[in-house]
Amino acid sequence: MTMLWRVLPVTTLTLRQFTGGRTWRLVLFLGCIPAIFALIFLLRPWGMPAAPVLRGLFRDLILPTLLPIVILLPATAAFGEELEDDTLPYLLMKPISRVRIVLGKYLATILVTISSLWIGLLVTTFIISRAERVTGVWEQLWPMAAAAAAGAMLLAAVFILVSLIIPRALLAGMLYIFAWESLLGRFLPGVQAISSRESMQKIYQALMDNDASAAGQAFLPMAVVTVIALVLAIWRLRSLQID
Amino acid sequence: MTDQQVQDAPQPLPGLPPGEDAIITLRNVAKWYGDVVAVSDVSFGIGRGVTGLLGPNGAGKSTILNMLAGLLAPSAGVIRVMDQPVRGNASIYRQIGMASEHEQLYGTLRGREFVHMNAILQKVPNPDQATERAITVVDMQDAADRKVGGYSKGMRQRIKVAAALVHDPQVLLLDEPLNGTDPVQRASLIALMRRLGDEGKTVVVSSHVLSEVERFARSVLVIVNGKLAAAGDYRAIRDRMDQRDHILRLRCNEPRRMAAALIAVPAVRQVTIAGEDRMIVETSDARLFGVLAPQIAQREGIHLLELQPVDESLASVFSYLVNTT
Repeated sequence: MTMLWRVLPVTTLTLRQFTGGRTWRLVLFLGCIPAIFALIFLLRPWGMPAAPVLRGLFRDLILPTLLPIVILLPATAAFGEELEDDTLPYLLMKPISRVRIVLGKYLATILVTISSLWIGLLVTTFIISRAERVTGVWEQLWPMAAAAAAGAMLLAAVFILVSLIIPRALLAGMLYIFAWESLLGRFLPGVQAISSRESMQKIYQALMDNDASAAGQAFLPMAVVTVIALVLAIWRLRSLQID
Repeated sequence: MTDQQVQDAPQPLPGLPPGEDAIITLRNVAKWYGDVVAVSDVSFGIGRGVTGLLGPNGAGKSTILNMLAGLLAPSAGVIRVMDQPVRGNASIYRQIGMASEHEQLYGTLRGREFVHMNAILQKVPNPDQATERAITVVDMQDAADRKVGGYSKGMRQRIKVAAALVHDPQVLLLDEPLNGTDPVQRASLIALMRRLGDEGKTVVVSSHVLSEVERFARSVLVIVNGKLAAAGDYRAIRDRMDQRDHILRLRCNEPRRMAAALIAVPAVRQVTIAGEDRMIVETSDARLFGVLAPQIAQREGIHLLELQPVDESLASVFSYLVNTT
């Protein structure tokens, strides 16, 4: 731990905040919710093959709703808690650049979210693989994990930025998830095209089809938006006034 | 020197004794939020030693300290610490330590971890050693392995000071550091502040308690309604405060006879009967009156029941200073 403190102090501090409070436990629980559905399927399969069930869980439950919430909670807490309880000056009044502070917080956020999502996906896949007619189940794990990681990378940056701009970032994020990603993104083609859910689905499908080029094309705009969000977050932190 | 040269020469900054170098300078600094002015055209200089930033709650002390710490950008004016701008200048933080007035700390960390984290973020060469030294300085060795979330207010104040001191800064900004401390902790923190000042560090301590500042600050900046009301030697400012007229409430069994006796005292400006057993006395010398009133009552055979200042609140003292500056 001491070594981590020395090498990545901001990340270590943020991880301590996540693990010391309820954030990490809550995020891990949310990440594992698909496992509950997998367990129900295992007990009552109704003759369905396992692979489409897993795909359905990923596309209809994890991508539009659970994944954004799992990212939203730590991403908005990364700066939000310190802004709320006035502890941010302990970071800002140090001879370290704002770039390092934002990237340190970002790293902690994606470490917590990706690990929780991957644990949830692994457990869910494992449970479903215990059912009958399990062809094509384990093959989905890697594409799901990669798509989830890409989504975590994008949404963590966006939500961190939002938490530095508006005071009620958690509420705004929830509205975005339920209104944009879960509801409108499902029915309106225009919204689908610019939703993170659509990009993650493209990555998942491309990797399922072993089409690395299509996966790269889907990942590129996500990477660009991530960089833009992080640059804006650094700019915002530089101009932030603490009273 | 020509008249023009005299005009062009930099004006001496309030609060800074002649010939002393300013470590902190504020020139025509203002801070406003929309229509609300928090700090208005404040200029002063702070040298080495302990300086008290004195003012009633809401006067603008914390805003000034936050601007000194670079956490807030002034709406107008210039702030320099050790001849460098602070806002957006991360390297200056090697020379500045601050303990803010906010009570919240990273509740999941232990006291030692909190100080250690500050040492690492300050890039101290030997963070372990610096952490132990800072914890010892504030006498927190026994509680250093407890989580700061469970600390009392006084313990939080001390661990905050330890974190602010861990990199041995030249400038220390302490916002109401004695709030919530018990008398022993208070005496210990005051001794620490004085020692740091004697070592040549610049220590700025905000407080709204007049009598408290006297114990640690030689120099005082009085802030009222966002303006600098007075600056300089504490004793000189206190003498000015003592010179104003004071209003006292006096209760006795025979107020009319007591009033007649008191009016003959030269320091008494006015006596008003304010009820069956009470009167309001306006005096130019409260200390002398405090000695004379019981003597007069004894001589006249009057039972003196109460003698209390009516306008001794800090706000009234500051209002007096503002009106006479």
